[in-house]
Amino acid sequence: MHLTRRALLKSAGVGGGALLASRLVPGGREAAGADEESAAAPVDEWVPTACWIGKQDCGMLARRVDGRVVKFEGNPAHPRNAGTLCPKGMAQIVSVYDPHRLRVPLVRTNEKGSSGEWREASWDEALTLVADKINEVRDDDPKLIIWQKGRSKSKELYDEPVVEALGATRLGHGAFCSDAGYRACEYTTGVEGVLHPDFQHTRYLLSWGWNITNGGGNKLCWITWNRQLLDARERGLKIVVIDPRLRSAGPFADEWLPIRPATDLAFALALQNVLLELGYVDEEYLKNSTNAPFLVGDDGHVVRVGGVEAVWDQASARLKAYDDPTLVDPLLEGKVFLESGQSVRPAFEVVKEHVAQYTPEWAAEITGIPAETIRRIAAELGENAQIGSTIEIDGHSLPYRPVAAMAYHMAQQELGFQATRAMLGVFMLLGAVGAVGGQRIEVGKWKFDEEKWAKWNEVEIGDPPYSFTLKDSKFFPINSANPQVVAGVMQDPERYGVEKLPRMVIVHMTNPLLAYPDQKRAMDLYSRFEFVTVLSPWLTETADYYADVILPTATIEKYEGPIGGTDQYIDAVGLRVPPMEPLYESRGEIDIYLDLMEKVGVLYGEHGYLYYVNEWLKLVEIDEETEEVTPGPYALPLDQKPTVRDIFDRWAKGQGIEEGVAYFEQNGVLVKGPFKVTDFYGAAMDPPFGGVRHRLYGEALLRYREEMKAKGADEIYWQDYTPLPTWRPPTMEASPADYDLYLISYKLIEHKQSRSSFVPLLEELSGGQRLSINPATARARGIENGDEVWVESHNAVTGETRRVRVRAEVTAGIRPDTVGMPHHFGNWTHPWGQNRGPSPNEILFSGEGYVANTADQSYHVKVRVYKA
Amino acid sequence: MPRYGMVIDLDRCMGCRACMEACKIENATTEGHFWMNVFRYEEGEYPDVHVGFLPRPCQHCENAPCVKVCPVQARHQQDDGLVLTDFKRCIGCRYCEVACPYGVNYFAFAEPEDSYYLDWSDPALESVTGGAQPPYRNPDLDVRHGPDGRLVAGDGHYGGVMTKCTFCVQRLEKDLDPACVANCPVDVFTFGDLDDPESEVSRKLASTRTFRLKEELNTRPKVFYVGTPPGEDTRELEPVSKGRE
Repeated sequence: MHLTRRALLKSAGVGGGALLASRLVPGGREAAGADEESAAAPVDEWVPTACWIGKQDCGMLARRVDGRVVKFEGNPAHPRNAGTLCPKGMAQIVSVYDPHRLRVPLVRTNEKGSSGEWREASWDEALTLVADKINEVRDDDPKLIIWQKGRSKSKELYDEPVVEALGATRLGHGAFCSDAGYRACEYTTGVEGVLHPDFQHTRYLLSWGWNITNGGGNKLCWITWNRQLLDARERGLKIVVIDPRLRSAGPFADEWLPIRPATDLAFALALQNVLLELGYVDEEYLKNSTNAPFLVGDDGHVVRVGGVEAVWDQASARLKAYDDPTLVDPLLEGKVFLESGQSVRPAFEVVKEHVAQYTPEWAAEITGIPAETIRRIAAELGENAQIGSTIEIDGHSLPYRPVAAMAYHMAQQELGFQATRAMLGVFMLLGAVGAVGGQRIEVGKWKFDEEKWAKWNEVEIGDPPYSFTLKDSKFFPINSANPQVVAGVMQDPERYGVEKLPRMVIVHMTNPLLAYPDQKRAMDLYSRFEFVTVLSPWLTETADYYADVILPTATIEKYEGPIGGTDQYIDAVGLRVPPMEPLYESRGEIDIYLDLMEKVGVLYGEHGYLYYVNEWLKLVEIDEETEEVTPGPYALPLDQKPTVRDIFDRWAKGQGIEEGVAYFEQNGVLVKGPFKVTDFYGAAMDPPFGGVRHRLYGEALLRYREEMKAKGADEIYWQDYTPLPTWRPPTMEASPADYDLYLISYKLIEHKQSRSSFVPLLEELSGGQRLSINPATARARGIENGDEVWVESHNAVTGETRRVRVRAEVTAGIRPDTVGMPHHFGNWTHPWGQNRGPSPNEILFSGEGYVANTADQSYHVKVRVYKA
Repeated sequence: MPRYGMVIDLDRCMGCRACMEACKIENATTEGHFWMNVFRYEEGEYPDVHVGFLPRPCQHCENAPCVKVCPVQARHQQDDGLVLTDFKRCIGCRYCEVACPYGVNYFAFAEPEDSYYLDWSDPALESVTGGAQPPYRNPDLDVRHGPDGRLVAGDGHYGGVMTKCTFCVQRLEKDLDPACVANCPVDVFTFGDLDDPESEVSRKLASTRTFRLKEELNTRPKVFYVGTPPGEDTRELEPVSKGRE
């Protein structure tokens, strides 16, 4: 009899991590005993590690035969992937052994801006070159060193201590991901994350985009998400898919709403309109947990009593601070005249009046979704939300609102910040935010982040000179540092009031030339740095054109972490353990940084790399006010260079794991068990949601707008800083009429950004680049399935046009006014990456008109398509 | 003696093709060989479109046409129902490929060393891999299996032979599920002994309506499907590469 994975898990229990790894055989059952003919039998063992190619570092076991790794399989004990792997995870073994990996450090010998010519260098020489340059720039201003990451797999060892020890500026990939959504959710709820469901309880789901079957949710990857999705569906979850393209949801769309690209904000506003009209409103939540009752004056500002936001108490007919203990029943609707003669309205009334203009008929024109469908979806949401109902979980009676949105990458558009706020607003009206079955934001615990909650509310727009990231500037005051904005600043610093420009960049595991939109602009950016060093296992296209020094990193052959292991419901932590020695002369990044920091002179002592590692791995306690450091028992000494294994041994012991790193070498993951219901649901917390009033009304956004205007910023920067989400046509609509199609990009399950489209097995699977085009659209242009076509984009702000040549794939599952391309491909350095077609990032634009008000990237552009 | 069979639940399949990759690594199949192939297709006209996925391993037919036409008894059926190729006997006539109505046979046109995606002959690699081709080659493939001790497992033994899905004969002998089954993240597959009424696969068959591919040909496949069969006007989406010329 064959044990299934489920049966194995059952027998192993949730605490399966306690099993010895050598006894685990994924995908089946415990290993058979040693072979009878074992005299000459090979050493055949399974050792734990963690997936390297993807986003969520699924637990893996490596089968090692006589020291040679022959296969990775999922670790059955890991909550995220429970003994399975996605196609990337399975195929990555080919890329681990890839003979095209970089073998030794390389130093450029030709001019930058074209394919590199290189000489081999020793690690000592290469690191000395980088360290000398770092020190030269540090003498000028350490902030002019950029540390840029794509896929940092350890914030605690890379993002924080490297940047802090150097005093550098950090750039991430968030602006190309869904930072607009993160900022919208942080500002509105104080929770860092983007909209996703509570699969164990959600009954009705609005789902956006390719994530549903090709990418998974925020902070989680595909396997975890889809396992939960399938189970939820079998329990009766209805999925309404909102996407110009059907393929992403495939057979799991119970209903497909092929929305016009970049009109999601209009759709969300119309949903709010109908919910308010039909009275699907959770007054209790709005009164007690949002700023809906706060009184707003005609100028849009909130009235305050003794510095605290005021509400109108209906019982006493008096103005009171919202937190006044004598408050009985705050007013939600209507108008009040204050003694001063000022007329004020509760924020909820302002919302109602604002949303009244956004009727389903109005939205139908914009979104292409019929008005009656919008009405029906809103009514279904309202019905399914079961406002007022409760459910008993672990002895707690909690609000039950089993409706939610999956809108992770909906944020990737010019109006992404406000579209996310509007969608969140839908679920606020329904009282579903943080309720059981309702709208979730963070994965795992409902983490109220007081610092972020306060930060985006405190308008601190400075005067020039601005930082080259334009943070706190009158241009993009709320922003999380978009490299393409830095590119614009470097092209014209005067225009942006910037005096000091970055001089060098350390590119950590990312390939910005391919991975992110606007390749041309990215090329311009990297050409302007005095010095570029790239850490990567492969010759990335960015390194090929612009690196001065390349440092070859290991892939999976290194200790790395700590890695979160939660599947959203179960708490777990893992570690990447090397299943083999680093191939060639590659090295793990932590090893590289230990040596580099030493050479720079910032490894040891106070405020050195080790000092910050201690802080981030919680090996010391630092008093926030006095900055006094109390070392814990496992703190790293600040005067000697540790091994990487020693760092993680101390970390593990500091976590209370007696065996230290050996625990992870045996098990790969520590499963801590399910989150407590009072930690998991915001509504179950004491006080609910950490005691904050969710910002249905965004007064601070109005203050940003006023400040930006006062400082002379152009309308394009402040137009979307509105207290309530407000529709306007996206900038791209100003492109000439012959650019008659929308280009969207999407992810394939076979690939992960630009980092896998040269893995032979995955490339074989994907079949290369293709343009999804509707049959009617193709027919009108004389295009047949498989034809080569040009896709030409137009920048509505600058008038620039660009084009790429690609093979057409005719599919009925896409809107006739929309074409789509997966956001992979376009590689040129690896033999398996060549001739697989272009990346859409070559014809997407960045900069004004193609970024949100929070400087986050849009993935929409108007194009025309014609036969090649 | 078990009689192995598989149930594939199309209502759960996400079309991710992880099973295909699990097969590729486990069996070291060569470029362009997809012993497991997940077809992606669509039906209907915009906006009433249906997308579907269909995983297709060898059907391990009870009445296997490929076995009947093999002139040298290389293609054979074991007592446990597995339909396998004895690579020591195969003469590469490809009659089995012609006889099979399911398109599951993949012929090794090239020698194995030219069929593994990249040039692996590299001294720096060989010091780690011992010269294995490909470096991840599963050692269980190069030993004999089955009651008669035949060379039947995995791909990449010789050029000029016919290969196909074996239900992972090398794993079954260790009491492990086939690689595709074990790796499926969303439990599309059920595998086991059709003759054991208590087996998971028998229970699934007893409790669910299933269909088989081309049932009218009386090949009696031991692969059963749950869900809706693809219609007449299906259009394939996103086909895999056919292998490099």
